[in-house]
Amino acid sequence: MKPPPLLLGATLLFWGWQSGFLLVGAVLGAVLESARVFRARWEFSDEDFGRVWTFCALLLLASALYAFTANEGPSSFSNFFSDANPRTTTQASSATARTAGSIMRWLPMIFFPFLAAQTFSTREAIPLTIISMIARRRWRRATPAERAAPQAQRNFHIGYPYFAGTLFASSFHPAENTSFFWGLAGLLTWMLWAHRTRRVALGFWVGLVALVLGLGFAGQRGIARLAGYVQEQSPRWLDSFLRRNVDPSHSKTAIGQLGDLKLSGQIVIRLHPKPGSPPPAYLREASYRQFKSPVWFAGNSKDDFETVAEDPPNSGSWSLLPGTSNTTGVTIACYLDGFSTNGSPQGMLPLPTGSGRLENLPAYVLRKSGAGTVVAEGPGLVVFDAFFGPGRTLDSPPATNAATSEDLIVPDSDKAALEGVIAELQISGKPPAEILPAVAGFFASKFTYGTWQRRGRGAGTGSSAITRFLLETRKGHCEYFATATVLLLRQLKIPARYAVGYSVHEPSGDGYVVRLSDAHAWCLVWSEAQQTWIDFDTTPASWVAEEAKNRSPWRWLSDAWSRLTFEFSKFKWGQSKLRQYLLWIMVPGLALLLYQILFRRGRRRQAGKKAEAAIIVHWPGMDSEFYQLEMQLAGHGVPRRPSEPWNEWLERVAEIPALAGLQDPLRALLRLHYRYRFDPPGLSDADRERLKHETQVCLESLNRAKP
Amino acid sequence: MNLPAAREIYQKIAANISHVMHGQSAATRKLLAALASGGHVLLEDFPGTGKTTLAKVLARSIDARFKRVQFTPDLLPSDILGVSIFNQREQEFQFHEGPVFTNILLADEINRASPRTQSALLEAMGEAQVSVDGERRNLAELFFVVATQNPVEFRGTYPLPEAQMDRFAMQFTLGYVQPAEEMAVLTAQADHHPLDELKPCVTLAEVMALKHAAQTIRINEELKRYIVELTGATRTTTGVQLGASPRASLALMKAAQALALFDGLEFVTPEQIQELAVPVIAHRLVMEAQARFSGLTARGVVESVVKKIKVPA
Repeated sequence: MKPPPLLLGATLLFWGWQSGFLLVGAVLGAVLESARVFRARWEFSDEDFGRVWTFCALLLLASALYAFTANEGPSSFSNFFSDANPRTTTQASSATARTAGSIMRWLPMIFFPFLAAQTFSTREAIPLTIISMIARRRWRRATPAERAAPQAQRNFHIGYPYFAGTLFASSFHPAENTSFFWGLAGLLTWMLWAHRTRRVALGFWVGLVALVLGLGFAGQRGIARLAGYVQEQSPRWLDSFLRRNVDPSHSKTAIGQLGDLKLSGQIVIRLHPKPGSPPPAYLREASYRQFKSPVWFAGNSKDDFETVAEDPPNSGSWSLLPGTSNTTGVTIACYLDGFSTNGSPQGMLPLPTGSGRLENLPAYVLRKSGAGTVVAEGPGLVVFDAFFGPGRTLDSPPATNAATSEDLIVPDSDKAALEGVIAELQISGKPPAEILPAVAGFFASKFTYGTWQRRGRGAGTGSSAITRFLLETRKGHCEYFATATVLLLRQLKIPARYAVGYSVHEPSGDGYVVRLSDAHAWCLVWSEAQQTWIDFDTTPASWVAEEAKNRSPWRWLSDAWSRLTFEFSKFKWGQSKLRQYLLWIMVPGLALLLYQILFRRGRRRQAGKKAEAAIIVHWPGMDSEFYQLEMQLAGHGVPRRPSEPWNEWLERVAEIPALAGLQDPLRALLRLHYRYRFDPPGLSDADRERLKHETQVCLESLNRAKP
Repeated sequence: MNLPAAREIYQKIAANISHVMHGQSAATRKLLAALASGGHVLLEDFPGTGKTTLAKVLARSIDARFKRVQFTPDLLPSDILGVSIFNQREQEFQFHEGPVFTNILLADEINRASPRTQSALLEAMGEAQVSVDGERRNLAELFFVVATQNPVEFRGTYPLPEAQMDRFAMQFTLGYVQPAEEMAVLTAQADHHPLDELKPCVTLAEVMALKHAAQTIRINEELKRYIVELTGATRTTTGVQLGASPRASLALMKAAQALALFDGLEFVTPEQIQELAVPVIAHRLVMEAQARFSGLTARGVVESVVKKIKVPA
């Protein structure tokens, strides 16, 4: 199959436009399509095509080498091999990725010679054996009978493979709009138009193509829009709302929203406790101080970020709490799903309470705040070890001045309800050691967990959602419990903060997985006695079971998919060993290619020589002196073509005026020579002498004719 | 018979033909090579180029029986081979020989007959015998078929199957002659047709002697190998679905022998083989549809094979 006229030219132009080689694309396209104007064609043999193919392969190798050096490959790899640490690993892998990207974009340029050779050759199709080692081997092993079969040697036209490759190359660095999609659609439609079946009506064909393109466009854009539309329309479908609304400065809760809340079962974190270490119960991302329903704000801890130094540099080791020597460790794999101002992935690390040291973390920049938040900037997926223990945390202690402390602020709208609860529990003025169990017992016994909020009687009366939760509904999700607890403790003058993160409870293999639906909120209470913040979770323990009820029967499928994307992300962000050995995997392949190019041809040449030698020995009359004449005349500018018989050649010789007189003696000699060569009885001794002698005479007169 | 005498027979026939056929010496040479090597000829050319005339002239030049069959779609095998008719008086079946029982048969527009009729003729060509009513009847010792077909007409024609194309030793075209030669044709036929006054110049026995003489022409192993290389190369050429058969190699060798005789040689040289490669091999090749549409012809394939393979020299 051959592409229709101008399609490849247009495709090259499209590629040039998309990948930023517009001029190159235009020139290549013009050269290719000039074949329709210029009618000159070359006769290329299979061997010639093999040579062009080898040339393209060498060009590919050279381009790979160039791209690798241009993208700081050698330096980053030498750094990587001399000192493998997370930073050099990341540099090396990004050099590899940039190299691969460049080569992909260059593919149309690299293989253009082959396409041009086929376009400007007289050959319509070339054997697959030229480019495919498998086909070549099969051909070599084939018996003569198999070779003679009509379909034994598969032929191909490079046009469509090149077309596909060019489109693929165009997909690298596409424009940020839909131009790639529509360009691709247009070119594919063009191709399909050229090969459409005439059996169906034109209208039907057009309709079908339009339908497919429409579906494709819907697949690309429409689905994302639909999802956004649905989310806007129905709060009940607030899939993964927490992820969208948590950042170091604030956390928008679902407090006060009506309807059911559902979180996706998508796996977001995987962790492996170190041998002998218990898993952490919670992974905290941030804490907040000011509640302005329904949002928790970080307050003044928003700005108190300080950069954590990597110690020693490039070691992947970061000390969050200098001086601690925790030995309980856990390996955490999580995604950094935000972006920093310079465009690299950034996110809050989910850390166990009391994390003092992070190891093997390939972050570029790490910052911590007094709210216990650790923000990392690095690859999109990080796998690191966190060492944690009881005692000190990152959080700043509460302000000593009770009047201005943010950890004691209670919204006025909820004060009445809180006072009511305090009166109900009769805990006013009691020490914290008595208050906390009483509060925990209160929430455990009188409240139920539920993600469904119905419209209570209080709705619309102006009372806040927390007030209604405390006095009326007494049912809610973790954000209600955590917020109510924080406010209740603050009302009792105990400093408290609102913490968000994940609960760890689902074992998987020899580790644990944390899903989006395991997102949790709880309370941090300041302990005067221990001078530290402690986790205080009042959400009924039944919440895990409640959430489990929402589990989809198809979760195993999404888990398998999650595993796959996780492994791919590990590879993509240079967090797996595979990436590090990529070069070593490539080297044998490249060596094999080089061997093929260098030795395959040589071997063939030798084999050819041997066969030729056999022929020369076999046939009679090869010692005829007539060949000397041929060599002599070739010197006069009339070489004989290998497929040209003597008579034809002699006619050409006779056309040269200086040699015209030689024609008759030459013809007579040729008869003798032919008898010597092709007559089975051969020449008699006398005739053999005559041939020798007359050739000599002829040679001499030729020498005389020479100027 | 010695070779010079045999060559003289050839020259006589060729001279006789050239009285009528102007500017067709190459075609005459090939036709006679086929005759002398015992093969049959398929002439494919446009109407009015002299296909039928050439066959007639050949028949007239030889003192031999000549029959002509115009092939039509309703022609039956019995119309060619003959039929047994019940003789009331003798109370037995009597076989009436068809036109195939002759020395030279002109099968005009062979591709217009039904495949059944075509194959009846082709069996006769291949085996030099016919089977009618279960009885085998041998054809004449000299049996030479000149079939013609028209390449432009496709409606109402039955293209010859590949296997049957293979039965023809050669296929070639006459082509349009040069303007000067065409004028000579006009002049010659101004008042009467020169064919009418053409007299036989050789006897049947002399033609048989020519055939036998052609068989005595020697050919060495190297040239046999060259022939096999040529036909073999067509089997592996791109775009060719079915290459030339060993029958093609055989036909090429025999025709080359005849041609060497015509050239006054006692042995075959590469020139004769190259000259005959296209007419002997090309019509046997079956091209792939794709190659055919892209303009690759069987003739082109053979020519490129001849150009590609090193000639013994």
